[in-house]
Order: sequence, then structure tokens, then C-alpha cells
Amino acid sequence: MLKLEGSYICGTPERAHYQMYKLKTHIALTALFIFSSTLSFSNNMSSFYSESTFIALVILSVVLAAIAALLFGIKKHLTALQNEKIGTEDEPSFYDSKIKPITSKWNPTIATLVIAGLLMIVLGGFGYKFGMDEVGVQQGYSPTQPINFSHKIHAGQYEIDCKYCHSTVEKSKSASIPSLNTCMNCHKYVKAAEKYNGKTSPEIQKIYDAIGFDGDNMEYIKGYDQKPIEWVRIHNLPDLAYFNHSQHVVVGKVECQTCHGPIQEMDKVYQYSTLQMGWCIDCHRERGIDSENNAYYEEVHKNMIAEGKDYVTVAENGGLECSKCHY
Amino acid sequence: MSSNKYWKGVEELEQTQEFVTSNANEFSEGLPLEKIFSNDDATRANRRDFLKYFGFGLGAVTLAACNKAPIKKAIPYTEKPDNVTPGVPLYYASSSVSNSEGFPVLVKVREGRPIKFEPNKEATYFGGGLDGLGHSAILSLYDTNRLKGAMVAGKTKPVAWADFDKQVIKALSTTNKTIAIVTNGSTSMVTNQAIADFKAKYTNTEVVAYEPISYSGITRANNASFSSAVIPAYNFQNADVIVSFGADFLGTWISPIKFHADYSKNRVPKEGKMSKHFQFESLMSLTGANADVRVPIKMSNVGQHLIALYREMGGATPVNGMETAGNSIKQAAAALKGAQGRALVICGSNNEQDQILVNAINTMLGSYGSTIDITNYYKGQSADEKDFDAFLAKAKSGAYGAVITLDANPAYSYAGSANAFAKIPVRISTSITLDETAETATHIATGLHPLESWDIKQPYNGRFIFSQPTISPVFEGRHVASSLVAWTGVDVKDTEDFSHAYVYAKNVFTSSIGTNFNEAIEKGIVENVATAAVPSFNITTGEVISEIAARKKADSELILYQKVGVRDGAYGNTPWAHEMPDPVSKVTWDNYLSVAMADAKSNGWELGDMVSVSTANGKYDLPVLIQPGQSKGTFGIALGYGRVLPPEVQNDLKDLGQNVYPLVDIKGGFANYIISGVTIEKIAGAALHEFGMTQSHYSIEGRDIIREASLEDFKKDPKAGQHVHKPKPITLWEDYDYSKGHHWGMAIDMNACTGCSACIVSCSIENNVPIVGRDEVRRRREMHWLRVDRYYSFEAPTTKDLSLSIVHGGDQTVQAGEQMSKEKVMEAYAEASEDKATAYDYYENVQVAHQPMMCQHCDNAPCETVCPVLATTHSSEGLNQMTYNRCIGTKYCGNNCPYKVRRFNWFRYNENEKFDYHFSNDLGKMVINPDVTVRSRGVMEKCSFCVQRIQATKLVAKRENRKMNTDEFTTACAQTCPSNAIVFGDLNDANSEIAKLYRDDRSYHVLEELGVKPSVQYLTKIRNK
Repeated sequence: MLKLEGSYICGTPERAHYQMYKLKTHIALTALFIFSSTLSFSNNMSSFYSESTFIALVILSVVLAAIAALLFGIKKHLTALQNEKIGTEDEPSFYDSKIKPITSKWNPTIATLVIAGLLMIVLGGFGYKFGMDEVGVQQGYSPTQPINFSHKIHAGQYEIDCKYCHSTVEKSKSASIPSLNTCMNCHKYVKAAEKYNGKTSPEIQKIYDAIGFDGDNMEYIKGYDQKPIEWVRIHNLPDLAYFNHSQHVVVGKVECQTCHGPIQEMDKVYQYSTLQMGWCIDCHRERGIDSENNAYYEEVHKNMIAEGKDYVTVAENGGLECSKCHY
Repeated sequence: MSSNKYWKGVEELEQTQEFVTSNANEFSEGLPLEKIFSNDDATRANRRDFLKYFGFGLGAVTLAACNKAPIKKAIPYTEKPDNVTPGVPLYYASSSVSNSEGFPVLVKVREGRPIKFEPNKEATYFGGGLDGLGHSAILSLYDTNRLKGAMVAGKTKPVAWADFDKQVIKALSTTNKTIAIVTNGSTSMVTNQAIADFKAKYTNTEVVAYEPISYSGITRANNASFSSAVIPAYNFQNADVIVSFGADFLGTWISPIKFHADYSKNRVPKEGKMSKHFQFESLMSLTGANADVRVPIKMSNVGQHLIALYREMGGATPVNGMETAGNSIKQAAAALKGAQGRALVICGSNNEQDQILVNAINTMLGSYGSTIDITNYYKGQSADEKDFDAFLAKAKSGAYGAVITLDANPAYSYAGSANAFAKIPVRISTSITLDETAETATHIATGLHPLESWDIKQPYNGRFIFSQPTISPVFEGRHVASSLVAWTGVDVKDTEDFSHAYVYAKNVFTSSIGTNFNEAIEKGIVENVATAAVPSFNITTGEVISEIAARKKADSELILYQKVGVRDGAYGNTPWAHEMPDPVSKVTWDNYLSVAMADAKSNGWELGDMVSVSTANGKYDLPVLIQPGQSKGTFGIALGYGRVLPPEVQNDLKDLGQNVYPLVDIKGGFANYIISGVTIEKIAGAALHEFGMTQSHYSIEGRDIIREASLEDFKKDPKAGQHVHKPKPITLWEDYDYSKGHHWGMAIDMNACTGCSACIVSCSIENNVPIVGRDEVRRRREMHWLRVDRYYSFEAPTTKDLSLSIVHGGDQTVQAGEQMSKEKVMEAYAEASEDKATAYDYYENVQVAHQPMMCQHCDNAPCETVCPVLATTHSSEGLNQMTYNRCIGTKYCGNNCPYKVRRFNWFRYNENEKFDYHFSNDLGKMVINPDVTVRSRGVMEKCSFCVQRIQATKLVAKRENRKMNTDEFTTACAQTCPSNAIVFGDLNDANSEIAKLYRDDRSYHVLEELGVKPSVQYLTKIRNK
């Protein structure tokens, strides 16, 4: 490698310069690649990269950076030697010719503060992003799913009730992802074949492959080794917070869209809300409980009328107390 | 008026140096600051080190920040079963695992994983409670060391069932000798039917029953007395007077959970009446701890005491050879006579003669048909060691060609059986783990865990308990019945809809019990009982009495007993059972030589001294534990320890304690657990054994924590025992009005509470409380949210005592009923006795009080005001809330808690190889309650009043648009309590059980003088002296 580089140097200075230009481009491209890959990873596009890929990329980047630094050093050294040999004067460096005239006019204290401040803002921004990721704040998280299921088609275009698929939302803490037999209620017949020249849609075919359905003969394959679909979970509350869908949907009468956003318009689902505690608390402070129509709140309703209030917020009913959610 | 001086352990009473030192601190160890700031260069961190660590720390944190939160998967069912709602538990009626005779429970199942046992309240006969071991045994399902499938000796991997069956059938059909089946005296009707099917094919089959703990004394005596070789059902609820001779019926004897429920019905004074319980025993058992009158005797002389009682009852006996235990037998007899038909005498001896005498006394008392039911008798223990001995003798002579052991483990618990088994060429085991017997087997037809199986059990004649699978088999085991039937050549393959075992069990049901199998499975119990008959006693007692009277009296005796938590050791690999402190000694993770104080003093032994116990059957090295209340000259060692576990087990379960089963004396023709001819010597130079003991971790400091009164005083004054000076509460806080909404509270009746500690384990499982292991318990770092405090006390001197001893000898100023200090009691005993050496006998006469202690949810909670980050706060419903994610671990709250109920997570107990219990392996984690956070290192935790259950019940009521009924749920401790001592509910609901108890005259708050306003009330203990 060294020898190879040496052979370039033996050529004309212009050629060497061209090589260096190429090298600079490489360094810049590498840096860009590292930056973009890091960014994309932190942007929750994580379904593209597994953790091990990321680590491999980091190691590769470090190695490449080390080589680049080495080469740059050699180049500098060789240039100096060559200049000595040829006897030309050192060109004034980029710094001396372009940057120094500007910076020499600056007040050193203010300049340091400004640069440090800018750095702080940039780094702080990154830090904030990392921090938020670390504590699991993933607003906007939109991973690629094993099946490109579109809520826009199902909930928007065909207006299928959310509860048809997320059937336990009124009974359980979890709204639950529908099991494949729920999909098959329709997709036994709906194959979207018109879009695919009479063949089953490849996305629907994934359901058939998982549950063991022969789309051509319209029958289940006996003794098929079923494989579940491994969806990527988008809404990840930390374990220390207890959330119950039925409490909010049945008792609180909250619409799905209040927290999940315009789900009927999403081709690919993303996390609409922050799911941070402050977001929970804000709602609990504003929203009133339906004390009038629920016998459980009979006493609360009586007290409310006695106190001459129009409504009782969740917070006033104890909805901000720690162990309502943390236990 | 309660005037006793209470003490938690010998150390506190004697004020030993270590106790005084350790007691001065709240947490046993501070930070090792001296070490860090010392001038010792080797340990001192210098500036460079600091920079190194700082730099490394910074780098590590930066790197950690680059790590993305992992991608989480959400995997739905492919075809969801109709009745499963993810996030909502299902309850299946089944049978408790550790109570192998059959005990009704409900199994709580989340998404196909059984996570907890809960009592089946519909099975009222059994009491609606559960014990500590019963709860712990759920971990045996998630034991990573379970066998993975059918095993053949010499192969490390499971073999296919079809090949395995071929091998077994070949081995069984080619032998021309007898085939033996060793059962665990099974009450399983399914297994018994399979054995019958097996015998039909292999006519050369013999069946022998084996159980580690023998009750043959009772069955043989009943055979002699009534021609009916059974253990009767005992009805403690019908007994006004109970006299027990060494039978630990609340702890380990026959069916203790059921006995708890029955016993406690008469222990709470109603209209001035409660039962009177005499206990004559040598070791301090859980039952003895609850007796009104406890008399320390030598169990080897129990027969002579029985003669004395028989004579007092009017039986014709010679005067010679009687033991009257002072005046006590006379008192007991008088009480028994006054309760004809409402009395019960029982005896823990396994000697037939003793039991015949007991039968005679019970016949005189009219107990049969009332307190003893011989018709609907107990079927859980039917084995007789005579039969098993005969089997072993025959085996040794080479009479058997094959043996099949069904859920029995004689190699562990019966000395000499391993040698005899080795003479049988084909040894088949159906164990689910590689236990001591399976280890030596040639074939292991790995069975199913009881939670994976269909079964029908009959613990009592006419009472059927049903088990159903609550999880699909974790490994490739096969139902025992299916295995037996398979070897007769029947195809036992599961069909598409039903498993073979289901069809088989259903056939057993329809052919002998009833028609509606589904209903039986749903309820878990079918009862079809007859009226209790009164048998006629057809034996003359003269011969028995003269033989007992002629028995040689031993100077000292060794008693092999069972511990409440571990029992016979069959579930010795469940860590929860070992971490549960013994209800009396409060020792975890150990067996030991229990000795009386007098013996310890005379031999110069101290707590933790290693001694070697030599008997004719072997020598054992054990640590010494001094047990107040134990009678002089008796020694005790617990059975059930020293299990040989697979080499993969590397936690505290490994090499735990000593297996003393080989000491059981079978020379007299029965298994005798009272051994004579034992020499005990201190091992010179051996290091002191440190117990993991929870008893003296906190001290009482002379505070008024336990309140008690005698029944006589209570009848005169319902507030007896509580007339202490109550300071007027002054508070700095504004009162909060709790009268709106819910106000949760708890009441604990100290008369009903026996201290059995089932609540501790139930709480731990419900709330994901980690197991910390012996070493951490030694450092006072046990994590139990609920502890059961055990207090000893001496009786306060009566006027009569004063006139006798104390006045003559020591302090003339003592008044009747005054607080009696140790010194005064010592003087009294020393004076009363001519022989100064017996001065330590006062330790024999202690009384015990148990008090469950958990977070008191104080309305003015001292912990809340000192938390710098508001991690512990109060709810409008009166709950003291602990928010783990906010806690920074200052431990101020723990220091400021007057009840010492807060627990600090010194380590991360999950995913940590140093704490290799269920939290740290994939299988064990399945038992974690998904509704409760698993805490991490550095946070405080404590009882939450099962807030997850409160919230869940509220939500159901809200969803169903109705008011919440506070009695529709309860906390895990209250739910499992076999004696219903704990009641939880809403104080604002005037009709609730809890509100009634709060108005009870006996109720008081512990440390109410502090003005912290606890939400837990205790009910004064009344003793029927």
C-alpha cells in the first residue's frame, strides 16, 4: 500500500495533488457515511440495521479513519520532502491565507464563547436526541413492519372499526394485535388479486404463509407448521408505568385518535404522541370524568353538584397520584 | 393488662455484645468509608486512580448513550384461543402441587403461564387458604433442571418415546420375576386405574406404597381399635378443648392447612368463649407456639403422660410409670371432662401403643362422630413402612425383575433402599427431575408436572379434587398413567382434540364418580360424603398400658421433625420455601441442631457452634441453635434437607443442610422419629456457623407492640390488655379528610394468626419480591415486604408466685402483674428450685406471640416527609405510595420508618448470576407477575397493599357501570391466610368486614403513641389460660 502510494508520489506534483484531492473526497464521503448511518440509526430506522451491523460499521469507520489519518501524515511528510527537493517555497497554507485574516480581527474572548456556545448547542442537540432515545421517547418512530399493513386502506378507506381487529381494547390493558385468524375472516376471500394480475397480493400471501392457507385451492393446509408474524412494537411504555386501554376507552371514553393520531390516514403507522409522563398528566389535568353516567362515580358526582362544579377532572379525582400508574 | 416483657430472641434477652452493637444501626452495614479514607496505601484511592475511573466512567457513559433502545417485538397468536384475552388473567380450579394428596386451589394463568396459586374459596371443607410451601412449589414447574424427555441410562439426551416404550416393554415382558410398582401412597384415581390396567397385563406385578413421613402408628392403632386401618379426619372446629401430645397439627401434622382453618374458628373469642388448647411437646413447634397452655415434656415419655391422662379421665391404670408433668395433666383432664363430645386428644407419636391409648381417651370423651370422623377419613397417607421393609428385603434377595417408582423418592428418604434397588435389574422412574431415585434408574419415563396434567385425587374419602393442565407441557414429558398404559401395549398417542390422559381421566370419572366431568373440572371439587359413624372401641387397654409403663425412660432424646416451610423435602429445590423464615426459629436456608438453653449452657455451646451428632446410624455435623421453650434433654433436627441436586444448581440450594432421614429408627417395626442413644460433641476448632436469621434483625426496645390479655380479664373488660397511657396526639400536619371515596385499611387478628408465614410467600409471588439467598439474609437484606415477627415472653408473676419464690429470695418490691424482667424470672425459678443448675429452666416456659408486620400505610407517614425527591407520597385513598422510578436510594425513609418495613434493593436481583434464582433464568421469569414492576438496584420498596389488585377491581366496577364492593377482592396475604387472620377492605364502607373489625374493642394500632395514624389495626391477643 505504502509502495503504491509512493509510486503516485513519484509522478508529477499535479498528479499527487489530484490523488490528495481524491483522498479528501474519500475522507469526506466516509465521514458522511458514518454520520448518516449514525443518524439513521438514531432516527429509529433501526429495522434497517441490526445492532451488530451498527457495531461493525463503527469499527469499520474507526479503522478507516485511522488509515486516513496515517495517509494524511505520510502525505504531509512527503510533500514537505518533495518541496525541499524541488526547492519551491511553501505555499501559504489555507489557514494562513484564508482564515487568519478573518479571525485576527475577532475578540478572542467573545470568539471563544461564541464557538463554544455553538458547539454546545450542536452537541447538546445530539445529546438531547440520544437521551430521549435512551429513556424511550420515540415520537415519530415508524419502523418497517414484516407486512406492509396499511391502516389507511383498512380504517380509512374501508372504515373498519378499530375494535374489530383490536378486539380486547375494551376488556384488557392491551388493545392487542389481532391474531391471524382475525385477518383470515376477510382475507380468506380478499386477495387483492385485481392489482396483481390475478395473483394473490404478496403482502396477503405473507398471512397465508404464516397460518398455512392454500390461496389457490381456498383451503387450510393440514398439519402446517404455523409461524407467527413478528410485528415491531411501536408504542413502548416503560415497564414502570401501568397503562390500561380499557380504562381509557370504556371508562374515559377517549377516542383512539386522541393518542394515536390520524391513524386512518397512515399508510405506515408512526408514534403520534410523545408518551411522556408530562403528556399523560396534561390530559389528566384537563379532561373531566364521566361521573354522571357511571354508577361507580355516584359519590363523586354528588359531591361535584354539592360543590357547584360542572365537572371533575381526572386529576381532581386522584388521577395524578403516583400509584395510579406506578406499581 | 399486658405486663409481659417481650423479646425477639435469646440475644436480645441476654443482651449479647454482638446484638447490642448490631442493633444500634438501622442497616447492618454502613458504607465502608473508613476503608476508603484510611491512610492505608493499598486500599486508598489516589488522584490518578480517581482520574482513571472518572475518565473510564465518562467514556462508558458516552458509549452507553450511543446504544439504541432495543427493538421490541409484538407477536400475536396465529389462532387465538377463544377464552384468552391478553392482559387478563384466567383462573383454573386445580390441585396444589406440594400437597400431593390433593388440595383444592385456583391457578392464576396469564397468557398461558401459571403465575400464582390462589385458594379455592368454594372448597370450604379445606378452609380456603394455602401454605407457604404450596405457594413456593409453583417454581418447580419452571425449574430449568427438569428432565427434557424420556431418558435411558448411559445417554445424556432424551430418546424418542416410541423407542423408549419398546425398550421398556421388552424389559418388562421378558422378566420372569416379579415386577414391583412403588407408589407414593397415591390418592390419584387416574394413576391407580392405570396401575390396575398395568396389573391386568403384567399379572406378576406387586404394588407397594412408600411415603417419607410415616403415620403408621395411627393407622395400625385404628386397625386394632376399630378394625379400620385409616387416618381419620379431625374436626378441630368442633373442639372446645384440644389436647395435643407433640402433634404439630398447625405446622406439619397430616393436613395442617385444613386444620388451621378449623382451629381458628374457635380461637377468636365470641361471647366470652374460645377453645382451650393444651400442648405437651419437647421441641417448640408452631402449634406449641399457639397453645394456651404449653407444657415441655420429653416425647420419648409421651406414653407415660398418656397413661396419666387416661387415669385422670377415669381409666383403670396402675399408678407406676406415670408422668404427670406437674399439675398439667390434671388440668388438661379437668378441661377435657368439662367438654364431653366437644374435645379432642391427638398425639404425634408414631407408636401404635400410644395411639391406641389416645383412641381410648377419645372414645371416653365422645370425640368420634364429633371431633373425629373415621368414615370420611383421610387418604393422603396410607403407606406402612412394614410393607416397604418387606419389599426391600425381597428386593435384596433378588426377587424382583423390575421396579417402577411413581413419584416416590425412597433413595433420598429411606436408608438402605438404594442398596436394595441396585439388586433390581430394571429400574424405571417417572420423576420429572433427576432426583436421588431417578439418578439410579435405568429408564426415566419423565412424567408431567402436576400443573401440566389431568388428575383426580381423593384426599378424604368421598372428596374428589380435580387437576387440569394450566400450561402445555414445558418439556417432552408424558402423563404417568399414559406411560403405564402404553407399556400394556395400548396406543397412547394424543388425538387431534384430546390428549390420551384427558380421555383416560374422564373415563375414570364417569365410571366411579359422576357424569358431568366439565362441571367437576370447573369447580375443582366434588364432595360425596357420608355421616360420620361412631365406631366401637374393641380392645382392652391393660396390656398396652403395662407395656408403655415398662418403657425405659431416656435421659436425652433426638427428635427428627419437619419444618413448616420445607416439610418432607420433596420440593427441596424451591428457593421460596427456604427463604421463608421458619415460623418459630426464624432461620432461613438451614437445618440445625435445636437445643434447649439449659443444655447449651451445661455443655458450653453457643449459637452457631458446630457440633457432631453421632448415632448408631451415622454422624452428622450441624450448627447449634438455642431454642427457647424446648424442653431440657431434647434435641431436634429437621428432615427434608441435604437434597442431592443436579450439578447445574450452583445457588444456595446446593448442598443445603444435612439429610437426617437415615437416622429414622426402624428397628422397632415402625418409623420412630424419636431417637435415643445420641452423643453430641462440639467440634473443636470449627468456625462459628452464621445463620441467615431474621428474628433479631430489629429489636423491640421495650415498646408496647404486642398486646395481650387472658380470657378471664377479657370477659370482665373487653378492652383488657390495652390500658396503656395514651398521649394526646399533637400533629404538625393538617388533617386530610379521608371520608370521601375509598380509605383502605387492614385488620390483623392476633388470636387467629398462628404465624404460619404463608402470607410471606404469597406476598412475595404476587409482588415479584426477589429471593436474595442466605448470605444476604445474614446481612439483614431480606426483601420480604411482609414479615411475621415472633416475640417470646415469660408469664407475668401471679400473686401466688410472689408469695412463694420471689419474696423469699430476691426483689421484695415486685407487684403482681408487674413487668417481669429476665432477672426477676431467673430469681423466681432459681428460688423455686432447690437445685441451682435448673435455673435456666425458665427458658422452657416461654410463651410466643406472632405478629405479621408490613407497611402500615400511616396517614401521617414519617417516611414521606423525609424523602428528598418525593418518591414516597400519600394517596387520597390512604395508601402510602412508593414510586420506584423516582427513588434515588437515600434510604432516609427506611431510617425514619418506625415499623422497619421498608426494604432496599442493594443489588439488581434479576438477570444477575450472583442471584441465580428464578429472576435470572428465562424459564423462571415466566412466574413474574406482569402487573407489578420488577425493581432494580438502588431503590426502596415496601408493601403496597396490593395496589395492582385495588386498581384492577376498581376498573372492573367502572367498566361494568356499578359501585365497587370492597369485599370482592383482597390482598395476597389476606387471601391466602388459612386462618383468616388478615382482613383488608374499605374503611369508608360501613358494612364491610374491615369497618366492623375497626370498631372491635380489641383493636389497637402498633406504636399509636407516635401519632403516625397507621392504617393497619391489630386485635389484642387473648389467651385462654
